[in-house]
Amino acid sequence: MAVFFQSLISGILIGGVYALIGIGLTLIFGVMRVINFAHGDILMVGMYLTYIIFTMMGIDPFVSVLITFPLMFAFGGFLQKVFINRILDAVAQNQILLTIGLGLIMSNTVMLIFTSDYKILTTSYSSSTIQVGGGVSVSWPLLVSFLITAAITAALYWFLLKTDTGQAIRATAQDRDAAQLMGINVKRMSIIAFGLGSALAGTAGALISPTYYIFPQVGGVFTLKAFVITVLGGMGSVVGATLGGVLIGITESMSAVYISSGWKDVVVFVLFLLVLLFKPSGLMGKSRT
Amino acid sequence: MRKHFLALGVALVLSPSLVAQKIGVINSMSGPEAPIGENITNGIKLAEEDLKKKGYSTLQLVWEDDTGKPQISMSAMEKLATRDNVVGVVGPYTSACSNAVAKLAEKYHVPLLIPAAAKEEITRQGLKFVFRMNAPADKYASSLIDAAVGLGKPKTIAFIYENTDFGTSTSKTAKEYVAKKGMQVVSDVSYPKGSADYRSTLAQIKSKNPDLVFMVSYVADAILLMRQSKEVGLQPQAFLGAGAGFTTVEFAKETAISENVISCTQWTEDVSWPGAKEFYTRYKAKFGKEPTYHAACAYASMMVMAETAKGSGGDRAKTRDGLKAGKWNGIMGEVKFADYDGFTNQNDHQMLVQQILKGNYETVLPAKFASKKAVYPFPKWK
Repeated sequence: MAVFFQSLISGILIGGVYALIGIGLTLIFGVMRVINFAHGDILMVGMYLTYIIFTMMGIDPFVSVLITFPLMFAFGGFLQKVFINRILDAVAQNQILLTIGLGLIMSNTVMLIFTSDYKILTTSYSSSTIQVGGGVSVSWPLLVSFLITAAITAALYWFLLKTDTGQAIRATAQDRDAAQLMGINVKRMSIIAFGLGSALAGTAGALISPTYYIFPQVGGVFTLKAFVITVLGGMGSVVGATLGGVLIGITESMSAVYISSGWKDVVVFVLFLLVLLFKPSGLMGKSRT
Repeated sequence: MRKHFLALGVALVLSPSLVAQKIGVINSMSGPEAPIGENITNGIKLAEEDLKKKGYSTLQLVWEDDTGKPQISMSAMEKLATRDNVVGVVGPYTSACSNAVAKLAEKYHVPLLIPAAAKEEITRQGLKFVFRMNAPADKYASSLIDAAVGLGKPKTIAFIYENTDFGTSTSKTAKEYVAKKGMQVVSDVSYPKGSADYRSTLAQIKSKNPDLVFMVSYVADAILLMRQSKEVGLQPQAFLGAGAGFTTVEFAKETAISENVISCTQWTEDVSWPGAKEFYTRYKAKFGKEPTYHAACAYASMMVMAETAKGSGGDRAKTRDGLKAGKWNGIMGEVKFADYDGFTNQNDHQMLVQQILKGNYETVLPAKFASKKAVYPFPKWK
C-alpha cells in the first residue's frame, strides 16, 4: 500500500509541473491557433536562466522564479512580435516550420555557449524529504514546486476570468475577427498570450531544475509531453491542460510500478489514443468547426 | 654545389627515420569521445617523456586521430602498418574502434596494445597480435558483487539499469554472476534514460527490501537515482554502481547522496601499485586536471609497448613474442598477457573496488591495495 501511495503522490506532484507546461502551450494555441513546437526549448531556456542566476548570483531557484517569469515573458513577447505575428495568416505547415526552426536555434545557441554537458543544480534541499507516515515520503523541492505551480495556475485563472485584459485574451481566443471589431487590440493580446505561455514554460523549467538535470536538448522530451497533455485535455482549454498534466503524471508513475518503467511511455500513449478515440476533442475540449 | 645540398637534405630527412623506432598511437582526439581521449593522449605524453629520459632517444610516436569512428580508426591502422612501418600500435580508445582495428592488426602482423576498451569480444577472437591492458566488462560486475559478498552476507539483489546496450549488457553479466553465487534477484528494472521521476520504481524496489542495489547509469541519471533513493528511503546493505555515472568527480561532489556508494574502476591514485601516486601528482601538475583511469592505462600501455619494441630491435614478430612472454610491474600493477577463460593475450587486471568516503574515492578492496576500510552496511540515511 505504501508503494501505491508513494507513486500516487509523486505522480500528482510531477503532474503539477507537467500541467504548467501544458497550460502555456494551450494558451498560445487558444489565442493564436499556432502550435508552438519551440515550447520545450523555451522551457530549456528557462532552465539555463535559472542555472545562471543560481551559480552566478546565488539566488535560490524557487526565488529566482520572480526574475525568470518577467524575463521569459519579455522573451516570449519578443518572439511573438518579431516572428510569430508575421505568419499568423500563413498555412499551418509554415507556422510549424517557423516554431521548429526557432526551437533549433535556441537549443543550438545554448549548446554553443554551455556545451552539451549535463548540468546539475544542487541546492541544500535537493534531496530532502518529508515523512508523511506509513513509509511514504514526499520530496521537499517537488512539493514546493507543486505549491508554486498551484499558486500560479490560480493567479492565471483569476487573470483570465476577472481582469479586462484576461477577458480580452479570451475573446480573442473565441473569435479573433469579432474581437477586433469590438475594439480589442488582438495583436497586443497575441503578444501577451505568447509572453504568458513562454513565462509559464520558463517557470516550469525553473521549478524542475533543482530535481532534474539540464542540457541543451532537454526541450524535446517536454515538447512531446506538452502536446500529449494539451491534446488530452482539449486544445485551448486551460482547465483541460491542468487535468491532463496531473493525469499524465499519475499514469507515468503508476505504470512504472505496476507494469514496467520501460513501458511507461507506451501506457501514456495508449491512454492518450483511447481518450482521443472516445472523445476526439479531448477531455475538456469543445469541438470547433 | 646544389647537388651537395640536395644530398645533405635527403640525408637529413632520411637519417632520423633510419634510426628511429616508430610506434603508432590511434586515439579519439576529437569528436564526442574527446574528453576521455584527452586523458589517453596525456598519459601517452607522460610515458614518452619517461622513455626519452630512460635513454630511448630513437623512439618516435606517430599520432592518428580516429574521431571516435571505427572506419577512420581502420584507415589510420592501414596507414600506420603500411606507410609508417610502425613496430607496434597503442590504442584506440572505444570498444567499437578497437574491435575494428584488432582484425587489421592481425592481418598486417602489427602488435596492437589496447589500453582501455571494455568490450569482452575484442580479446576473445584468438587474435595473436592483439593485446589488452584493462580488464574487460565482465570484471565490473563480478568484482563489485564479490566485494559485497566478502563484506557481508547479502542474499537478495535488485537491479536497476538504463535500457541501452551498455545498461542491459552489464546487468546481464551481473545477473549470471549472482546466479552462480546463489543470490536471489528480487527486482529487475530497466528504465528509459532521461526520465524525471524514478521515485515510484525505487519505492517498489524498497518494498522488496533487497540486500544489494545494483545500478548501471550515466552521470546525470546516477545522481538522480541516488537522490530519489534517499527520498523514498531505499536502504539496502550496499549501493553498487557499475560504470560510467558512479565513478565521476561530479558524482562524488554530491556528498549528500553519493557518500558510501561502492563502485569499481581500473585504477585509482591511492592504490599501492608502484608509481601510481607519482603519476597522479605529475599528471595534475603538468595538465592541471586529475587523470582518469584511462590515462593510467594509456601510460602503462605505452611503457610496455615501447620497452618491448626497443628490446626486440624494431622487429614486429619479435615484439609480439616479447609482449606475450614479458612481465611488468608499474602503475597498473603487475601486467602479464595471458590466455584464460576464452581470452587471448588479455592482462588479467585486478579491478579496484572503491567507495566514496568524505567526498573522495577511496580504494577499499582488495585488501592489499586498500587505502581505507570499507563502510558496510550502508549507514542509515540522514
